[in-house]
Amino acid sequence: MEIHVDTDACVGCGLCVKDCPMHVYELQNNVSVAVRPNNCMGCLSCHEICPAQALEHRGIYAARRHYIDIKVCEMLRKVV
Amino acid sequence: MSAGYIDEMHEAFHSDLVYRSEDIPLECSPRPKEMEQTLHGVMKLNGLVIRSLEEIAGRGANAVTYRAGKKFGHEVAKYFQKREDVEGALHELSDLLRGQYSFEVWKPEDKETFIIEENGETFIYLVFHDCIVRQTLRRNGLEQGGPLCQTLFGYVVGAIEEITGRKAKLEIVHTGPNACLKKLILK
Ligand code: SF4
Ligand code: SF4
Repeated sequence: MEIHVDTDACVGCGLCVKDCPMHVYELQNNVSVAVRPNNCMGCLSCHEICPAQALEHRGIYAARRHYIDIKVCEMLRKVV
Repeated sequence: MSAGYIDEMHEAFHSDLVYRSEDIPLECSPRPKEMEQTLHGVMKLNGLVIRSLEEIAGRGANAVTYRAGKKFGHEVAKYFQKREDVEGALHELSDLLRGQYSFEVWKPEDKETFIIEENGETFIYLVFHDCIVRQTLRRNGLEQGGPLCQTLFGYVVGAIEEITGRKAKLEIVHTGPNACLKKLILK
C-alpha cells in the first residue's frame, strides 16, 4: 500500500493520527506522515475524517458500493 | 495457514487503483440497474427495523440480533463439510458469504503469523471488505458497530462454531467506509 499525504493541503490537525487503529500516521513538523503504510488495511476512515482531503491511497481494494442514491447521483452528474 | 491460500486471498484484494479523498463515487459498482429499487427497498426496510428495535429494546437489541445471526450461521453451515482447521473453516465461510461479504485474513507487519497469541488470547484478524451491512447502515445514516453488525458477528461465529466444533467470538476493532477490522477469537 502506498499512502501519499498532500503536504500543502494538510493542516496538521492530527485527526488521522488519532483515528487510524494501525498507527500508520505520525505528525512530523505539523504535517502528517505515513510512517507505517504496510500496516494499512484499507478502511479509509482517515479519508472520511481528514478535513483537508489531503490523503491518497494507492493499491487499495475498493469495496462494492450499493448505498449510493442514484437520484442524487443523477443530480450531481449535472453539476459536477 | 498455507502460503498459497494467503497469497491468493491477498491478490484478490490488491489493485493498482488510486483513491483520492475528493473522488465522489457517481455510480454503484457493479451497476445495479435491474435491481436498484428492490435493493434500496430492502436496505431501507432493514434500516427501519434496526432503528425501531434499538428504540424499543435499547442495548438489548444487540443481544437479539447477535443471537439471530448465530442461529442462522449454525443453520446454514450445518450443510458444510466439518473440519477442525481454522484455515479450512475460513475457506468454507468465504464460500458461504460470497456475494454479500468478502474478507481476508490480515496481520500487522510486526506479527509473524496470522494466528496471533496475545495476552492469553488466540485470535485472527479479519478485514471485511465488501459488506452489505455496512452499505445498509450508510444508506440509512446509521452508525456502524450496532445491532445490524451484531447479526453478521453472530452469523460468522455460528458458522465457524458449526464447521470447526470450536467456540469462537468476533470483536470489532475498527470500522471504516471501505473496510472493517475484526478479531476472530478462538477458544
Ligand atoms: S485506511 Fe484505515 S488503516 Fe489505512 S491509514 Fe487510513 S485509517 Fe489507517
Ligand atoms: S487529518 Fe488530514 S489535515 Fe489532519 S493531519 Fe491528517 S492529513 Fe493532515
